[in-house]
Amino acid sequence: MDEKEFDRLAMHCRIRLSEAEKAGIRKEIDEVIRYFGIISEIECDSLQEAYHPIDIGQRTRPDRTEEYDDAQGLLRNTKTYRFYVVGPRV
Amino acid sequence: MNSIEEFNSLEKKESYYPRLVEELKRANGEFHAFNLINEGIRAGFPFSAKDNICVRGFEATCSSKILKGYVPNFSATAVSRLGSAFGFLGKTNMDEFGFGTFGINSEEPARNPFNSDYVTGGSSSGAAAATALMKYHVALAVSTGGSISSPASFCGVVGYTPTYGLVSRYGLIDYGNSLDRIGIIARSAGDVRHTCGLLRGTDRYDSTCVDHNVASDGKKTLFVINQLNEVLDERIRAPFESLLGKLENLGYVVKRVDLDIIGKAVGIYYIISSAEASTNLARYTGFKYGYQYGRFTEYYNDFFSNARAEFGIEAKRRIILGTFVRSASVRGKYYDKALRARRLLIDRMKGLLKDGYIISPTMPIKTPKIREVRELTPLQSYATDALTVPPNLCGFPHISFPFDYIDGMPIGAQIITDHFNDDAIIGFVEEWERHFKYRFKHNLGAL
Repeated sequence: MDEKEFDRLAMHCRIRLSEAEKAGIRKEIDEVIRYFGIISEIECDSLQEAYHPIDIGQRTRPDRTEEYDDAQGLLRNTKTYRFYVVGPRV
Repeated sequence: MNSIEEFNSLEKKESYYPRLVEELKRANGEFHAFNLINEGIRAGFPFSAKDNICVRGFEATCSSKILKGYVPNFSATAVSRLGSAFGFLGKTNMDEFGFGTFGINSEEPARNPFNSDYVTGGSSSGAAAATALMKYHVALAVSTGGSISSPASFCGVVGYTPTYGLVSRYGLIDYGNSLDRIGIIARSAGDVRHTCGLLRGTDRYDSTCVDHNVASDGKKTLFVINQLNEVLDERIRAPFESLLGKLENLGYVVKRVDLDIIGKAVGIYYIISSAEASTNLARYTGFKYGYQYGRFTEYYNDFFSNARAEFGIEAKRRIILGTFVRSASVRGKYYDKALRARRLLIDRMKGLLKDGYIISPTMPIKTPKIREVRELTPLQSYATDALTVPPNLCGFPHISFPFDYIDGMPIGAQIITDHFNDDAIIGFVEEWERHFKYRFKHNLGAL
């Protein structure tokens, strides 16, 4: 992975890296990606993807309103203004 | 009688819990098993929760700066199900978000109670250390690729990872959705049996939690997979062969078999787990949970990028790696292929597990010193997961149990069975415990 491609990837991840971190991580990721190449040797193209290790059926919850005993608590971890969560500028 | 029943049958003075907390705080200064100790505990059998399991009103940090200050206003189903017979003792240390094999990816790594120069294993580092420190205690721990087995093995305790889907994950802070499992670390298989009986069952808050009978289909054949044996350090191989001999004397039949694909399981696992981790960690942006970056005048791209600089180095590495394997140009080559390879591995392992258990040492190396693992490259570190990754990738239940001691440090073996046959391997370890006495250096809270 060249430097430009790595920078683009880090930008997509929205992670600011120092120059030292960038050099180290890029080298390590290159090494790991080369290692990932071993899966190309596995003959499994005719099989279904296993998104979960067992069949789980993916039940859904009934769509209904419920009382929640601590609705204010949901906002306790954030900075709020007039019951809105304050976030960065868009 | 397991230690939970024993504890309940013993008379305890009013000063028992305050004294336990004081002893624990002192020990924690050396071993760093806990991120938080609940000084208010006054009743029940002491249990701890790994710091990625939510307990209402107690900070949950996943040992990460990015979650510092996050206090959930609800408890995980696993915590609620333990009920009033159990008392919440605290949140245990871990590798940041579960990213690690040795427990060192934490601001203050947990240290092994047998010798504090050595690692505890990870990522449930504090859960295993706490269990090795205390006479009466069970830990709720979490495994994604071996995070229960590895520390259980290095700390000389029993680590049970249930069948995928058997225990609700509601209230667990995710790392890899198709891999994460809440399990138990305890001092005996009896304690595991008692505790897991309370945790199982469907949960309307977790659609991946299944309603399935748990079997106890005992087997007498033990499969040793040649490809796993090849990665063993010589100092592990000899005691493991001795264990197999003892099990043969107990009536088990050992069969050595080939399973080529198992040698590629680590590659498959790190593709899937990094991909899932990179999406799960996208929610930590410096204003909604925990860490408050606070510079709201910055535009959101800068705000997020600067706030997320608080992740540790291993978390950053996995987010970038996971984003790469999911990117459109290579997704088919890595992520989709890995999901199909997982299907093949499940099918091949099931072929063996219908006729017996798979057994191996839990870790391929003896317990390393903390300073030794700091020098490993990521790839060298990932390679040490070779034995714990296959059952985790495939959702099979497994238990790590101590079977020998080298230079005063414990070593563990891992027994794997088919989906939903969990009680059979708990029974296997109970049988082993009738012939082998575990050693502990500490017994805090003894009565």
